[in-house]
Amino acid sequence: MPTILSTVVVQSGKSTRASFEVLTRCRQIADAQGWDLAAVILAPDAAAFADDAALYGAKTVYAVSHPLFESPLNTPVVDALAAVIEQVQPAVVAFPSSEGVKDVLGALAVRTGAAVLADVAEFDVKDGGVEALRPVMAAKFMARTRAEGSPVFVSVRSGSTPAEEAPVDADVQPVAFDAGTTAQTLREVAAATVGGAVDLSEALVVVAAGRGVKDDEAKRLVDELAAVTGAAIGASRAVVETGMFPATAQIGQTGKVVSPDLYFAVGISGAVQHVAGMTNSRIIVAINKDPDAPIFDVATYGLVGDLYTILPALIAELKKANAAA
Amino acid sequence: MKFCVCIKQVPDVSAPIQIRGGELVMDAGRMVLNAYDASAVEEALVLTDAHGGEVDVVLIGPERAAETVRKALAMGAARGTHLVVPDDAELDSSAVSELLARHFEGHDYDVIATGKQAQDTDAGLAGGMLAERLGLPYATNAVGLAVEDGTLVVTRQGDAGQEIIALPTPCLVTCSNDMNDPRIPNLKGIMAAKKKVIETKPVEGLPAASVRVLRYEPMPTREPGQTIDGEPAEQAAEIVRRLHEASVI
Ligand SMILES: Cc1cc2nc3c(=O)[nH]c(=O)nc-3n(C[C@H](O)[C@H](O)[C@H](O)COP(=O)(O)OP(=O)(O)OC[C@H]3O[C@@H](n4cnc5c(N)ncnc54)[C@H](O)[C@@H]3O)c2cc1C
Ligand SMILES: Nc1ncnc2c1ncn2[C@@H]1O[C@H](COP(=O)(O)O)[C@@H](O)[C@H]1O
Repeated sequence: MPTILSTVVVQSGKSTRASFEVLTRCRQIADAQGWDLAAVILAPDAAAFADDAALYGAKTVYAVSHPLFESPLNTPVVDALAAVIEQVQPAVVAFPSSEGVKDVLGALAVRTGAAVLADVAEFDVKDGGVEALRPVMAAKFMARTRAEGSPVFVSVRSGSTPAEEAPVDADVQPVAFDAGTTAQTLREVAAATVGGAVDLSEALVVVAAGRGVKDDEAKRLVDELAAVTGAAIGASRAVVETGMFPATAQIGQTGKVVSPDLYFAVGISGAVQHVAGMTNSRIIVAINKDPDAPIFDVATYGLVGDLYTILPALIAELKKANAAA
Repeated sequence: MKFCVCIKQVPDVSAPIQIRGGELVMDAGRMVLNAYDASAVEEALVLTDAHGGEVDVVLIGPERAAETVRKALAMGAARGTHLVVPDDAELDSSAVSELLARHFEGHDYDVIATGKQAQDTDAGLAGGMLAERLGLPYATNAVGLAVEDGTLVVTRQGDAGQEIIALPTPCLVTCSNDMNDPRIPNLKGIMAAKKKVIETKPVEGLPAASVRVLRYEPMPTREPGQTIDGEPAEQAAEIVRRLHEASVI
């Protein structure tokens, strides 16, 4: 029976939400095709996350444990995944499209002879190949794309499938991994200095700031809105370029793809390259003084006006609501 | 240090583009240098200005893509190679990386740079694929580069923050447009580029692509939105009420 292998990404000691979305989609495909669903986890203590994979239906979990997976170097990740793929011989390998995954996907594909569909919005197994919809041209269009190969790799944008539990008893298989040598050396990991303690890709609420957020006063309002809504802070490229927000906060074609339940776009015009990273959000609230700004074309709710007066009113109202709850 | 930057000519996404019969229809005249590759060229020029060395560029594309090689030369690259194919849209990242790997046999660059992704397809694969084919250490999504005696120090944007990774040369790096603002060629650069040689080589034996586009489709549209009017206090009260109803706050 062919196997579909889903990769669980562990970040800051947790399996990511995006990993569960991908597992869910893989389980749907495994059910429809009569395939086996397996998961692979790379972490310093990978077996500790096996229950997460089982909760979403993985019948076999390949756990590769090594302290090196704490570091962001790509050599050990490519080596370990290649070894698991060699052992399991999956028909399809699916990944959440994180920066860490993007870092290894190309090299791993050449190493294992895989065909790759990168950063897809949806995918399915069809007539012995994999078909996917991929946003292209700065997410102005979808390309219906087909890959044939063994295996086929698919990396999936966040928010593509709602994660759905389907618990099974998993067979956990530890995979021995001998780290070879790497020419790379890690000098430093500089954690992001974004306000807001919540990880952007995982957040259920995001407050994103654009060029309309001009000064410290506006930035303070953004911080405060994020604090009262428990949001992570995102940014457009315009305010990353000025240095007001770190590149880690950037959302869009160059930055991250996010899919929260609630997205506030504050002083963001809605350029295609920004919208590319946020249209999977469930509810989008746009605050912009220009009624013709393209962000209103994708917004669920549009508040036309000056953010310097709207944000204080909004924060006050949210505080009232929080106090009442 | 000797750099070679892999550059791609892509459609200008700000130009009008339509779908007809599952195909994209656009103005063939509006082609540009991939923004991520422009940043890679810029950074290579800055580093070779500071530490000595030269920047070459290589492009795979149809005849008309020669203008994009010329653009990189006008920015300041020393030499250009144009590997001519009838239509590079038929090639996937794997095929591109195979052709590039063939090109790099017999060259001894210290650093090969690519964009982190092509702006039109957003695949983001060719760099890592090329590194693996050439057996080079690599880093992706660079937002800053520095040269320290024989070592390339890459600041890369990771999931949670920035990581600083040192690579011995030869190595490969894929570049983000967050790295710099690429220079616009000035008149002197444009004149100088006219005298520079572009080595043009037709490609024999195209590798088969394992990934192909069946057809293009419009983006799924979102439900039409609603404007919430009134004074700021009224707007705030109304939006908070709606967000409560939707249980997102
Ligand atoms: C290859 C490439 C990749 C890119 N990748 C990304 C990416 O990942 N993410 C990204 O964001 N961009 C990206 N861009 C850039 C993108 O094209 C836009 O330039 C950028 O998104 C604009 O940011 P902005 O909306 O903050 O600024 P602007 O377009 O300048 O918009 C500012 C908005 O703020 C409003 N405003 C001003 N003052 C106020 C006020 N007081 N109250 C309310 N509203 C106000 C204005 O009406 C305006 O609509 C990319 C571009 C390229 C070429
Ligand atoms: N036709 C091409 N010619 C030269 N380099 C290319 C070509 N296509 C892609 N590349 C390089 O590979 C990078 C990643 O491309 P992609 O995998 O298609 O997103 C680009 O930023 C370029 O540096």
